[in-house]
Amino acid sequence: MDLKLDHHTEDRLTIVEVEGEIDVYTAPRLRELLIDLVNKGNFHLLVNMEKVDFLDSTGLGVLVGGLKRVRAHDGSLELVCTQERILKIFRITGLTKVFGIYASVEEAKEAHGRDK
Amino acid sequence: MTDETATRADDIPDGLSGIRDAVSVRLPAASAYLSVLRTATAGLAARLDFTLDEIEDLRIAVDEACAMLLGHAVPGTDLLAEFELTGQEMIVRVEVSTVGQSEPKRDDFAWMVLTALADDVDAVTDSPDRMAIVLRKRRGSARLS
Repeated sequence: MDLKLDHHTEDRLTIVEVEGEIDVYTAPRLRELLIDLVNKGNFHLLVNMEKVDFLDSTGLGVLVGGLKRVRAHDGSLELVCTQERILKIFRITGLTKVFGIYASVEEAKEAHGRDK
Repeated sequence: MTDETATRADDIPDGLSGIRDAVSVRLPAASAYLSVLRTATAGLAARLDFTLDEIEDLRIAVDEACAMLLGHAVPGTDLLAEFELTGQEMIVRVEVSTVGQSEPKRDDFAWMVLTALADDVDAVTDSPDRMAIVLRKRRGSARLS
C-alpha cells in the first residue's frame, strides 16, 4: 500500500493525515510535506497516524526532523497514535518521551487549546 | 522466488512438521521493492506459526536491515534475501553489492530498532564488494512487550 497524505488547518493547528506505509521509499514525501508546511508558516503540527500500517526508522527520522524544524519557530509537532505496533517503534527508540502522543485528534486539540 | 526443502532434518524437534526450508528472494536493490520483501517475510513467518507480534517484528527487522544496506548498494544491482526456516526460528540474510567495504552505522534509529526486534543481528563485511546483515528470530522469545 502506498502512502496517502492530506492536511488541513483548524485554529492555528495543522492536522496532517497519514495513511499507508511509511518506509525508506515513501518517507521522503512526508518529509517534503512537513518542510513545505513549516516553510509556509505552519508551526503547530499534529500528525494523525491512526491509519498508518507500517512505520520504520526512516519515518521516525522524518518526524524528528519535522520536530526540529517547528521547534526552531517555537512550534510543536505532536502525534495521534493508539496502535501498539507503531507505538512500539517509538518506545524502542525512546521517542515516546520526545513527542506528545495522543489517543485522538480531539484529545490533541484540547491539549493544544490549553497550551495556547 | 525459489522454495527448496532441504533434507537435513537432524536437529529438528517434534511438532511443527519438522520444517527446514530455504527460500531465496532476489529483488532490485531499490527502496520501491521493500514492501514486497516485507510481505514475503510475513508470509514465511506465518508458515512457522510465529505470533502476529513476532511476524510484525520480523517484517520491521528485515525492512530495517534492507534499508541500511540499500544506502550502500551499487545502483542497478540486486538485493538478495535468503530465509532459512526451521521449526523454531527464522534466519534471514540480506545482502547487496557495494563499492568498497563499509560497516553499517550502529548508533542510529535503524540499528536500534533492528537489534531490539531480532534476537540476534550480525553485520557481515568480510567481502570487499558485498555487505550483508544476518538476523535471527526465534519463536516465542518476545524480548519487548
